[in-house]
Amino acid sequence: MKSLVLVKQVPSADSPFRLNSSGTWIEEGNLTFGLNDYDRYALEALLKLKDAGKVAEVVALTVGPERAATVLRTCLATGADRAIHVKDAALEGSDPLSLAKVIKAAIQGEGFSLIMAGLQADDDNYGQIGPLLARLLDRPSATAAMGLELRDGTTVRVEREMENNRLLVVDLTLPAVITVQTGINEPRYASLKGIMAAKKKEIRTVALKDLGLDAAEVGGRAARLRTVRLASPPKGKGAEILKGPADEIARELVKRIREKTGVI
Amino acid sequence: MPCKVLVLAEHEGGAVAGITYELLGMAHRVAGEMGWAPAEIKALLIGSGIAGAAAEIAARGAAEVIVAEGPAVQGYTGDAWHRVVEAVAKSESPEMVLFGHTPNGWDVAPLVAAGLGVPLATECSAIARESGAFRFSRKAFNGKFVQVIDLGTARPLLATMQKGAAPAFSAATRGRVRPVPAGVGEADLRARFVEIKKGQAGAVDLTQAAIIVSGGRGLGGADKFAVIRDLAQALGGQVGASRPVTDMGWLPHEHQVGSSGVTVSPKLYIACGISGAIQHIVGMRGSGYIVAINKDAEAPIFGVADVGVVGDLFEIVPALTKAVKEAKG
Ligand SMILES: Cc1cc2nc3c(=O)[nH]c(=O)nc-3n(C[C@H](O)[C@H](O)[C@H](O)COP(=O)(O)OP(=O)(O)OC[C@H]3O[C@@H](n4cnc5c(N)ncnc54)[C@H](O)[C@@H]3O)c2cc1C
Repeated sequence: MKSLVLVKQVPSADSPFRLNSSGTWIEEGNLTFGLNDYDRYALEALLKLKDAGKVAEVVALTVGPERAATVLRTCLATGADRAIHVKDAALEGSDPLSLAKVIKAAIQGEGFSLIMAGLQADDDNYGQIGPLLARLLDRPSATAAMGLELRDGTTVRVEREMENNRLLVVDLTLPAVITVQTGINEPRYASLKGIMAAKKKEIRTVALKDLGLDAAEVGGRAARLRTVRLASPPKGKGAEILKGPADEIARELVKRIREKTGVI
Repeated sequence: MPCKVLVLAEHEGGAVAGITYELLGMAHRVAGEMGWAPAEIKALLIGSGIAGAAAEIAARGAAEVIVAEGPAVQGYTGDAWHRVVEAVAKSESPEMVLFGHTPNGWDVAPLVAAGLGVPLATECSAIARESGAFRFSRKAFNGKFVQVIDLGTARPLLATMQKGAAPAFSAATRGRVRPVPAGVGEADLRARFVEIKKGQAGAVDLTQAAIIVSGGRGLGGADKFAVIRDLAQALGGQVGASRPVTDMGWLPHEHQVGSSGVTVSPKLYIACGISGAIQHIVGMRGSGYIVAINKDAEAPIFGVADVGVVGDLFEIVPALTKAVKEAKG
């Protein structure tokens, strides 16, 4: 059984986030990037199935600029067998539906039975690509998986996270698309051996013209979902910020906690 | 009557979920602004055993409740639901379809978007008119920024709305209930609903705690949690956590505060090394007094805190523990 994991390179959480000059996105220059956290769990879910002999091949795919190849190498070093990098300058700013069309074209003929992705990306937090792709492929899907079990060669059982600590259990007929929630497993890290082995693994790079797609339809300029602006959130009532040496701050906090709550 | 706004109602075993009335509240607000008649606001209700729910929704915000009932839609699957939503969206041709940003609303909305070939805005907190177009506000980068989105001229506009985006509609209406064929046969489906079950239960119950000291990813590891435990102990409180902490197994799941954990309302909540993503905030904003300790002055947690310290938790928290012990004598 062949499987695919969709991954994205996102800014690391501890990067210095600043708005760009036009206020439409963040300034990318001083960011550090890494593999989207949710995707690490998606990759692990497939690697586990591979360890168990239920999946024969794990392929990682990303759509992104040159720098995004790093996350594919991370996937390969962690255990993915090969990777596909869809890279085309025209795709900058493409909207989720266009990206799903691009991914569909890029995997045509591959015959993946199980397609996994993170529930959402830590940058835009859209959470759309997995189910969009499923619909374009006309295959069933399930989001926010906290449990996953291949029943046999034709069915996968998914436990989806609901509110109030409940799980919705659903059986999907393969091929299927599943997005995973963090915490579903314990993602492994790349070993030194894995990093060495990854150097021999293939990353196939494809551009829009290789996919027979037109930038006028799926490119950033054709995006219908468009960010008008990005701004710092309103501060709300905002906290009173205490300043000074730690022990002084601590005494001030105790004073306030005592006054406001009476618990000390 | 034509339809301008279609709302996907949610229910649990026939009991209407609160988000439904918030979506209707949003629909009425948008309609009011656009001069659309309230009669053009409809709700779509899918499931089985939902006659009572349909009547309730018709009496509280929807001019028409379109009811799709049948064995194939008895339990939620994206596979069955999207077919119904798409079919109704095509026949009603609304300007806008609103979903809850709930586990199932967020699951089905992208399927409908791809099926109808239109863009979708997820996790929205507001809809406004700007320069003659609808604009959808939402958070991006886990709450670090507010993003305003335009979806272009394609119709319908699709959005999933966060809880609390609009007050629940509360006025009485006299809508009608219209059954439609679900149009989905069990044989067509590639997904089968099995059950809804409880997640694992834990030994700790934070919901009753008067004092909670929570640690987040900023702790950096299970072994670092001693500083949080020490403070909790000094205060006589419980230890809470953000999701990454329980995901990574630093603490068991029952310590997780937030939308997929527990909702707490202690007298005192101290958040250490927690950025303040919306999913965490919804679980603790009802606390009496909120203290935030974070090294990032821009962290959204300071927006809900009463008092904050910008600094290294590994300096501040032990100092606070010491000061608490001294104060208690
Ligand atoms: C469907 C869904 C459900 C979710 N449910 C929940 C939920 O129930 N509960 C929940 O918490 N999250 C939930 N999340 C995840 C949520 O979106 C955030 O990812 C999560 O809350 C972030 O946790 P954090 O603040 O600990 O980590 P981060 O966002 O990584 O923040 C860590 C913080 O620590 C600070 N820090 C680092 N080092 C130090 C130091 N030495 N001293 C002081 N500060 C430091 C950093 O400045 C940063 O602000 C959910 C997400 C989804 C999509």
